[in-house]
Amino acid sequence: MTEIARTPRAQRVAEHLIRRACRRLPGEAGAERYREWAAELPAILADGDVGSRLRRSARTLTYAAGISRCTRRLGRPGGRPRPRADLPAPSGFPARRVVVGVVIYVAVVALFGGIAAAFPGRAVVVVPFLPAAACFAAFCLIDLARAGQVRYLPKWGWAIACLAQIPLGGIMYLAIGKAPMARPEPPASS
Amino acid sequence: MKLTAPLERVLRVFLADSSARRYGYDLMKAARLPSGTLYPMLARLEEQGLVTSEWEPPPVDASGRPPRKYYQLTGEGIRVARLELAQAARTAAAPRAVHGTAQPAPGSAQ
Repeated sequence: MTEIARTPRAQRVAEHLIRRACRRLPGEAGAERYREWAAELPAILADGDVGSRLRRSARTLTYAAGISRCTRRLGRPGGRPRPRADLPAPSGFPARRVVVGVVIYVAVVALFGGIAAAFPGRAVVVVPFLPAAACFAAFCLIDLARAGQVRYLPKWGWAIACLAQIPLGGIMYLAIGKAPMARPEPPASS
Repeated sequence: MKLTAPLERVLRVFLADSSARRYGYDLMKAARLPSGTLYPMLARLEEQGLVTSEWEPPPVDASGRPPRKYYQLTGEGIRVARLELAQAARTAAAPRAVHGTAQPAPGSAQ
């Protein structure tokens, strides 16, 4: 077995997820939490009780996903869902996000087109992907239902878009309609 | 403090060796809880003064491992945890009994 000198990919991905999650916490608390959680990752990746490297990697990513849920809870006092903070008026059209959305859409279409082309005359090969499409639409609708506020379209508008144009509507909702993550303000001085 | 099942597991793990300092992943494994459940709970316990945390000194073996944060029950935490677990055990033994009257009156038939 060769010595792995560089940081394992799972660790880097997990660090990235944790860093993003910690941005929900106010300033110094977020930085300290990041240090705490990132320091746990080597222990998970080196956990002798977990059989294969793949499972350790999976566990590392699950850990990071849990951290993401965790900061969502920690970010609001009392652990209760907090309505999103009022959004500032969107400053300019988020061109970069539109481009990302379109690129994802083109990739999805190309994937399906490629699959369909590989099996000419057998549209049935697309069937296995229908559950994924349904899941994605459901995910977008649930996210929409839980969001306090959305941009550019009313909520029902985005709901129609998510359902009528799978997956483009959902991708566009996630890319530009979704409110940016509310940044928790530091607690008011008492 | 409302004793939920995950909280009970964490308290048991802490009480198994109340002098031991434990880091997050260690607790996750011992209590079999996901990170998304454990850390908010630890934060709450720390807020209530039942748990303290401290950073370990940077490791000397030059392995490059970043220092971890360790958690431990406070004296008050140990007291409250024992009390809560004992109460839970009593309630489990007499599930129908009204809270606070779990003990049968002396001389009464079981």
